[in-house]
Order: sequence, then structure tokens, then C-alpha cells
Amino acid sequence: MTLFHRSLWFLASLALLVGLIWGWQILADARVLPRAFFPGPDLTWRALKRGVANGSLLSDTLTTLRRMALGWALASLIGVALGAFVGTSAWARVWIAPMFEALRPLPASAIAPVAMLFLGLTDTMILTLIAFGALWPMLLTTVHGFSNIHIRRREVATSLGLSRSAFITKIALPGALPDIMGGLRLGLTIALILVVVGEMVTVQGGLGARILLAARAFNAPEIFAGIAVLGVIGLLTNAVLSLVETYALRWQRR
Amino acid sequence: MTALKGLVLPIGLLIVWQIAAMATGMQSDTLAAPDGILVALVNGLTSAPFWVDTGDTLAAGGMGLALGFSVGAGAGILFALVPPVSRILRVTVELLRPLPSIAIVPIALLIFGFGYQLEVAIVAFATCFPVLVLTESAVRQVEPRLSEVARALGLTAWARITKIVLPAVLPRLFVALRLAAGIALIVAITVEIAANPIGLGSRLLRAASSLRPEDMFATLFWIAFLGWALNWGMLRLQSWLFPAMSRSER
Amino acid sequence: MSLSEHATSAMDAPRDTVLTVQEASVRYGATTVLKDLSLSLNRGEFVCVIGPSGSGKTTLLRLLAGLLTPVSGSVDFRGQPHRAPSRDIAIVFQDYTNALLPWRDAEGNVSLALEAAGVPRAERRDQIHALLRTVGLVGSEGKFPAEMSGGMQQRLQIARCLAQKPDVLLMDEPFGALDAMTRQKLQDELLGIVAESQVTAFFVTHDLEEAIYLGDRIIALEPNPGRVSQIFDVPLPKPRNQLTTREMPEFLRLRRQLFDFIERYEQ
Repeated sequence: MTLFHRSLWFLASLALLVGLIWGWQILADARVLPRAFFPGPDLTWRALKRGVANGSLLSDTLTTLRRMALGWALASLIGVALGAFVGTSAWARVWIAPMFEALRPLPASAIAPVAMLFLGLTDTMILTLIAFGALWPMLLTTVHGFSNIHIRRREVATSLGLSRSAFITKIALPGALPDIMGGLRLGLTIALILVVVGEMVTVQGGLGARILLAARAFNAPEIFAGIAVLGVIGLLTNAVLSLVETYALRWQRR
Repeated sequence: MTALKGLVLPIGLLIVWQIAAMATGMQSDTLAAPDGILVALVNGLTSAPFWVDTGDTLAAGGMGLALGFSVGAGAGILFALVPPVSRILRVTVELLRPLPSIAIVPIALLIFGFGYQLEVAIVAFATCFPVLVLTESAVRQVEPRLSEVARALGLTAWARITKIVLPAVLPRLFVALRLAAGIALIVAITVEIAANPIGLGSRLLRAASSLRPEDMFATLFWIAFLGWALNWGMLRLQSWLFPAMSRSER
Repeated sequence: MSLSEHATSAMDAPRDTVLTVQEASVRYGATTVLKDLSLSLNRGEFVCVIGPSGSGKTTLLRLLAGLLTPVSGSVDFRGQPHRAPSRDIAIVFQDYTNALLPWRDAEGNVSLALEAAGVPRAERRDQIHALLRTVGLVGSEGKFPAEMSGGMQQRLQIARCLAQKPDVLLMDEPFGALDAMTRQKLQDELLGIVAESQVTAFFVTHDLEEAIYLGDRIIALEPNPGRVSQIFDVPLPKPRNQLTTREMPEFLRLRRQLFDFIERYEQ
């Protein structure tokens, strides 16, 4: 398909989305949809504008973004460092890795009540929850990447006389990068989910708390506004990470 | 042998934990010793409410999975076989896909109230997108090779789907189901923790907020075991149903 | 690097040896892959190794590389016991895709060897460019391996090996995966590079004509367990030429001999 065709389809697809939203508006106006649940795009938009005007939406968004970024960065650092250690050490692969593998299917959000008990309804608890939940995919993909270095690369390293640290930074880490990027992406998705869970449970500000409080007040437009912002966050963070990935893995072109 | 080595560290940690608890004579609202947790777990496993909660979580997650998987797989097959549908819906799907499923809990709560329906809806929403993506790519990759065969044989569209496409994508459809099952359990528990007062997630939250760490850790270990068992069972099922697939994938 | 005599033909008097293998045996578990093998490589000569599959050609190369140690016997490099890989011995692997780093471009891949040797950043650039020129990769400095043909990737691997400034260049069927035209071209370039740098070359191949065309000496291994069966001298004049050399009576005679040798092991 040519670029021209693809752009045409994209525009058509965009038009469909606009059409769907418009249809939603018509249905809402005609009171076909219960207005208490589906307030219509106009009311959602008004809630968004109101939120932006009084600054509360922006500050909640920033709070959520800050927590998400901090938790994700923490998980990435620990996950990649620990994963590199376990992946490069045959000893750790035998004695430690099975425990990580067994913990992988544990629903990360199940740790929320535990974290709440230890840390209370605090910012730290939300960060811990995100870091813990997003840690696993990064840890496991990094272990996978580091333990699957081709034997030839090891031989090249020994015949060149590379030091252990040079081997890790110049051969193992870049070689594991495709796996690590996959883990970072998965971790980001989990971080977004967990920041919302954490904020809903603790009600300490942020978009999660915002939509929860809106639900308690039966304020549907406010909920939709919050969901829309969360959707945009998900879309943008994913897109940015995709760009980074495309650049970092540009050597993988074929 | 290697499997046994993997057990050494967790068991060692449990022993250290137990000894530390006994040595300090720990009295805590937040921590529990392994023996206390074990007692709580045994008590739970021999009492009806514990199994009611387990059943609630599995039933809601299972129904959500069934719904989400059907919708996702159906849409995925349609998208792959009729590319214009996929192209025209691309923007809408890409916009909805990264939306954290938990964010729609409040709106689902307004519509359905507390209970099964809420959880089923969220689980279905969360599972249907990954299944859609996996199914679409699975069908895409099989179709070109076999569609010519189908055309040469003069098969109808229906026969093409049932005789050619489905058998060819079945193994990868199962992989999608396996991953979706994991997501379903996670989302079900998450919904229960965040809002819905049923199931194991809510049990966990109750134990935590009423300062019963033994019960809390017992439930946590039980959830971890369920997640592990589900994953293990699906993997075994996969290698039994599609031996060739499992060998290449794992 | 000291100057060595011209490696015009193996008829010359014995020169100083670089690598010596004495009565070495190698085992993988219960199977003996090499048994009591003795061999010496003279400075500046081009030695080719042929043999049926299972005769331990690659194992011998790995032994010389220091990637494995013999269970009995010894390997000496420049008169010292050789137990671990040395920067002075470079290896060109057959599977260039795995031996190159796909995330580094051509310059970066050559640079790896210089970084390992601790060459200061400022000096690397010129050296890299000189090496890429030597192997005919000018204009491809910024290309990643995935953007290169097989022949170019193998050239790049050779450039990286030359960056080690090795005394010995070990090559494990380096042209085995390339098409006939590229292969001939690379054979000639390799001969030029070896003659110029006066490196000692050890070349494993399953292509008998390639062994004759490149080698000063050909070592024929026999299998079960792997050991030296025969050594052939190659008294063909240098520089060699793809057309005239291959038509010389001596070439054809050797070709016949090697063919007879290898045929004994093919059922």
C-alpha cells in the first residue's frame, strides 16, 4: 500500500471516530442513552474545560504522571540491575531465578493491601505498589536477554580480551536491549494501571482519586473527563516509548 | 535437581522469617510469622466463606474472560479477513487499547452497581484488546499461504474459515487465551481491591484494614498460588494440545 | 612485530615457529575429538586444514585459539604455554552474523577491538579508517551489519581481527556461507592482506580447491579420533591468480591427491 493510500485510510478511520463521537452526542441529546451514565461528549468536554480552568485537573494529572514516572523509573533501575546480575551469573540463574519465575503470575495489585498496611494511605505506598508491580516484567525480560547471549559473542569477547565490565556494557547490555525494551513497555502499561489502583485505594490526589470521587458524587461527566485524560496519558507515553525503541533498536531493521 | 535448588531460597527465607519472628517475640498488627500464616491458610481452606470468595473471583474472571476472548477473537478474525474493517477502525481501536482498564471501573460502577456484572465487564474490556491484536496477527500470517489453496478448492467463505483459517490459527489462539487468562485473574483481583466488595481481592483488603496480617498473608499466598497454578495448567494444556507449538515457543 | 622471511613457498628451510601443538588430545565427555595431535605453525606461513566431517577441524582451531585446553599434551604460543585466548591471536568465525555486534555500525565493530586493547579514543578513528580501507569497506563506515551483504559482513569481521594486530589469524570456514563470486574475490583480498601484514594464517575449509589456492601447506585430518593424516606442501608461485594458478599442473595434481584422500572417508 502506498503512503497516499495509507493516509487516506487514516483519515477515513479518524472520520469514523469523529462520527462515532458525534453519534454518541446525538444519542445523548435524544436521551436514548441514560444521561446519568453516558453524559455525552459536550458535557464531558465542559467538565474537562472546567477542570483545566480551575487548575485541579492539571494538578491531578501532574500528580499521577509524577507517581507513574517515579515508580516506573524505580522499577526499571532495580529490574534491569537485578536482571543483569541474575542473567550473567550462572549461580544466580540456578538458585534465584526460579523464585522470580514463580512470582511472575502473582497479580501485582494484590500487593496493594499489604503495602497499605505497612505504609498507610501515603504517596510512598503508591510508589511502592507501582515499583513492585512494574518490576517483574523488567526483571524477567532482562534476565532472559542477558542469559541468551550467543556463545559466539562470548568467544569474541574472550579473544579480544574484554574485561568483565566491558563485556557487560559493550556486549551483554546492548544485546539484551530488545528484551529490555519489551519489559519497559510492559512495565509502563502496568505502572499506569497501578497508579490508578493506588490512587483509588488511598484517595491521595491524582486522576485515580479524582474519578473515584466523581463516581461517589454520581458526576459522570467528571469521570469521563478523567478517563479521557488517562487514555491520552496511555497513548502518549506509549508513543514516546515506541519512538525511543525505534531509535535504540534502529540496527534491527530487518 | 535444578527444580529443588530453586526451592532452597524461598524455603530459606521462610525459615529466617520464622526464626526472626520467634526470637523477637513479635507482636504486630502488620507482620505475621509463617506458622501463623499457615494456620490461617488451613483455617481458610477448611471454611466455606474462603471458598465462596475464591469461587466469586474465578467465576467473575472466567465469565469476563469468556466474553472478552469471544469478542476479541471474533473481531480479530474479522479484521484479518476483511482488511478495510481493520483499517477504518484503526484509530478508534488504537485510542481505546492503551486505556487502563481499571479507569473505567467508576463508570461501570454507575451502570452496573457492585457485583458480578461490574467485574465481568471490566475483565472483558481488559482481555478483549490483547486477544484482538494477537488473533489478527495470527490470522494474517496464516492466511496468504492457504487462501490460494482454498480458492483453488473452490471453498465457500464459511468453509474457508472453519476448514482452513481456524485449524491453522488454533495454536496461536490458545496462546492468546493463555495470556488473556493471566490478565483476567489480575484484573478481577484488581477490581475487587479497588471497588467491588466480592471475591479474594476484597477479602485481602478486609484482612488488611481490620489488621489481621495472618489472614492477609494467607490470602496473598493463596492468590499467588492460584496465579501460578493457572499459568502452569494453561502451559501444560498447551503442550498437550499443541506439542509442536510449545516446543518452538518456550 | 618483527620482520619475517618471505612466505613464498613451503620449500624454504624451517623458520621460527609461532604456535606448536605437541601430542595434544581433546575430549568432549567420553568421545575423543583429537588424539595425540602434533603440529607447528611457522611465522608468516599460510596453513590450510581440510578433513572429512568429524575430524576435529574446528576443535583444532579452538585449541589453537586457547578457547579450550587439551586433556593431555601441550600448546605453546611463542614458546610459552598457551592456556587462555590472547589478543595476539585473532579468530574469524564462519557465522559473521553472530560474531559481529548488530547494534554497532562498521566503525563501531572495528572499534571494539581497539577499545579492548585500550587504544585512546583520539587514535582510534584513523586506525579504523585505515582498516576499513584495507578490507574494501570505504563508504560503508556508518552501515549496520543488517544493512550489509554477507561478503561485506565477513570483510568487516576480518577488519576487526586485523585491528587486534595479531601474530596469528585463525579462520574457521570464513567463506563457507558466501556465494562463489564473492568467495573468489575475498580469497584474493585475504592473500593480499596476509602477505602485507605478514601474519601467520590458519584456515579451516571444506573446499579442497580453496585450500590449495590459499595455502603454503595443507594439513589433512582424519576422523575418529581426529589426528593429522598427511601434510601437503603447495609449491605454487605467488601471487596467485584465479585463472592461471587453477590451471597449473601442480594445482591439478594436488587437487587429485586431496580428492583421493577425502574420498576414502565418504561412503
